[in-house]
Amino acid sequence: MTPTEINWPVALRATDTAEQAAAMRALRDVLHHGLRIALSSRGDVSEAHLEDFAQESLLRILDRLDQFQGRSKFTTWAQAIALNTAFTELRRKRWQDVSLDALLADGERLAEPGMIAEDVLGAQEDRQRLVAVLREAIEHQLTPKQRAAIMGELREMPFDQIVELLGTSRSAAYKMLHDARRALKQSLQAAGITGTDIQNAFNL
Amino acid sequence: MKPQDQPLTSEQVGSVLKMLALTTERELNCSECLQHVGEFAETRLASQPVDAVMSSIEQHLALCPECREEFEALMTILQAGK
Repeated sequence: MTPTEINWPVALRATDTAEQAAAMRALRDVLHHGLRIALSSRGDVSEAHLEDFAQESLLRILDRLDQFQGRSKFTTWAQAIALNTAFTELRRKRWQDVSLDALLADGERLAEPGMIAEDVLGAQEDRQRLVAVLREAIEHQLTPKQRAAIMGELREMPFDQIVELLGTSRSAAYKMLHDARRALKQSLQAAGITGTDIQNAFNL
Repeated sequence: MKPQDQPLTSEQVGSVLKMLALTTERELNCSECLQHVGEFAETRLASQPVDAVMSSIEQHLALCPECREEFEALMTILQAGK
């Protein structure tokens, strides 16, 4: 039977343990194959990593089988979870030595003039004005934790790591970041800066 | 130099401003995106029009580099299997 012919939710819940084990092995192979394709260009992913990611993903998928709503193919839904598992782990390794103090200190630097180099601003007046308004808003509208979280995002720090460092919940961290972005956006709007102005200034 | 010691690049400044331009009152979070991204990827692969839920996924992907990286990897897998 090919992966497209298997009724995965049924097979993975099978009361016959041999049938269930066969489905788990088959799904694990599908995940492993997909991860190999997706991560083939990375030099930091070994065969052992692929094995670990596939196994960990399988456990996550089994744990949240009830969340599959059938709005995509089961294997597509499962691959998305496997990729999330793999990338989360790879990002965590890159940032594992960063402390809360370092993140907060980095956030405080966000409003400093030197944080955005002159060559980034260039000679364009519209860019300079835009960044000046942004810096002002970062300094006066955000809390230290909001500055740290925004900086973490800018540095492409994994969201889970930001949550962990700030010692908060995922939902509280989401709200904190969303509130921060809304506050900054309102400051830009109050200064008469529109989305189009931003796109034009930075060629977005 | 550690990542947190580096000054911001032009791309990073641009991306925070783009992030602000895209910010709306109601947004999906990463968990909600993960729940629906498979459907969104299949819709894109089939070049079908997106509905309201799929539009909110699109908006989240524009805002979130992590989810976007995972979505692009998912598209790579789906395209390889076509």
